[in-house]
Amino acid sequence: MTAAPRMRALGAVAALAVLPWLTGNAFLQHMMVLWAIYALLALSLNIIVGYLGELSFGHAAFFGIGAYTSALLSMQWGVPVWLGPFLGAIVAGAFGLVIGFVALRIVGPQFAILTLGFGAILHTITNYWVDLTRGPMGISNIPPFSLGPIALDFAQARNMYYVALVFLLGVAYVCHALMTSRRGRAFIAVRENPALAASIGIDVFATKLHGFVVATAIAGAGGALYGHYLRVITPELMSLQYVAALIIMVIVGGKGTIVGPLIGALVYVSLLEMLRAAGPLRLVVFAALLTACVIFLPGGLVSLWRRLRERRLAPEPAGASA
Amino acid sequence: MTALLETRRLTRAFGGLVAVNNIDMHVAEGEIVGLIGPNGAGKTTLFNLLAGSLEPSSGIVRFAGADCTGFPAHRMARLGVARTFQITSLFPELTVADNVRAGTYRTKTGGWAGALFRTRAHAEDERAVSARVDEILAFVGMSARRAMPAKALPYGEQRKLEIAIALAAEPRLLLLDEPAAGMNPDEGAKLVQMIRSIRDRGITVLLVEHHMRVVMGVCDRVVVIGSGLKVAEGVPAEVANDPEVIRIYLGREKIHA
Repeated sequence: MTAAPRMRALGAVAALAVLPWLTGNAFLQHMMVLWAIYALLALSLNIIVGYLGELSFGHAAFFGIGAYTSALLSMQWGVPVWLGPFLGAIVAGAFGLVIGFVALRIVGPQFAILTLGFGAILHTITNYWVDLTRGPMGISNIPPFSLGPIALDFAQARNMYYVALVFLLGVAYVCHALMTSRRGRAFIAVRENPALAASIGIDVFATKLHGFVVATAIAGAGGALYGHYLRVITPELMSLQYVAALIIMVIVGGKGTIVGPLIGALVYVSLLEMLRAAGPLRLVVFAALLTACVIFLPGGLVSLWRRLRERRLAPEPAGASA
Repeated sequence: MTALLETRRLTRAFGGLVAVNNIDMHVAEGEIVGLIGPNGAGKTTLFNLLAGSLEPSSGIVRFAGADCTGFPAHRMARLGVARTFQITSLFPELTVADNVRAGTYRTKTGGWAGALFRTRAHAEDERAVSARVDEILAFVGMSARRAMPAKALPYGEQRKLEIAIALAAEPRLLLLDEPAAGMNPDEGAKLVQMIRSIRDRGITVLLVEHHMRVVMGVCDRVVVIGSGLKVAEGVPAEVANDPEVIRIYLGREKIHA
């Protein structure tokens, strides 16, 4: 990183750190926690959609696996809650390894359909394996994260925000490191031209599997954070509604970037609240937003910034006056 | 001279069509070998068999003495076989420099963790890679274009960039699939110069080519195939006067020796 982007990143981290102190409103603080968790999930999906160039409709299933793993381990086996995100990541990543190993043999739309199928299978199993998951009733009274005697549930949203923020910044840094590494160049090469990537020594399948497992593991960690924060989880976490939400965040924010999914998660969480009165019509608004972005702003909202800057740097492009 | 690349009775059939039929050929270290033949003769199929893009139906491919029959493309590349494609194949959205940078993949081993912990080895690798990118861009004369997206390059420079990507992989053998396709005679002459200087870097070259001027100008040896079979082999001047070669080329372009 050169000096200017580093300063900008440090500024953003500082702003995010003071954010919850700008309001005493517990509900707004709750929204900030949700944003941080969703942003983390969007960043993980972005590894698949933005860096590897594959679309996954099964990502919410890994989110759910992480949430259930962590909740069940802490409730039934007394595993410390702080280990939850890491164990959730390991189990979700293991599922990602098996599913990716099968599904990544095909690419493009067929891969997207396969992930839809695997996601639906995991959702259905969670729904019907009542002995383990309590089925559609979900699991409630999940123990929260705690610091000594202080429980970090939504009554302590400000504290939980910092927990989620640490995980979010960690994942953002992991993504940044990836993009400055040889491995990250392989991801992009595979996205841009798989045949050429293979011809320079990149194992296309292994590269995609690598990215898929990391992405699903991060989603699992996000699921654990979510479960211990809200303290209630249901199989709905794995439903298409959450799949759609994550895809909207990545595409509307800007795929293939780090800031994009963070902005996408902010747009999603804010709109979800602002449009609460509109009921199911919200989904129409989200669909319209997604469609508009795909057509008019394929780079997502982050590309607006780049466009504006380019316009400022080149105020009179040739032929633009016509 | 020892054979760097060698095939024994290499065959590939597509259903009933035998596109490559019992081909024995070799490329010696340091040679520039041309693979020629009329359209549909099986040149590109043979080429893809050598590069690992296709699996042979039967026969053997050996590289540097070791059997590598049926290796997938990325394993051939790791052995030191780099290739270009008949239809221009780049990373279109990346800059020229990043295209070449991607090509250096096999020359280093570091991964994600090095970047994560900012290890010294990672920093040194990245510096070495950047230096290599600069050197290769200078070699192909594209340093001034380094920040341009590959898709914005004119056609002739896109073909040069393809070669630059392949060179960045530091191959022992470079396979060029019709590098002069779509080039004018002036660009063709420059290409001949470039292929010679690639060989001077110690890289063995095998090229499939239609432009006889290029083939005759640069190749030490030529292998002619027709209908999947090897028809002739030898120095360009000999092959051009071979009656069998003239027969299979009859009605096609004239051979300028």
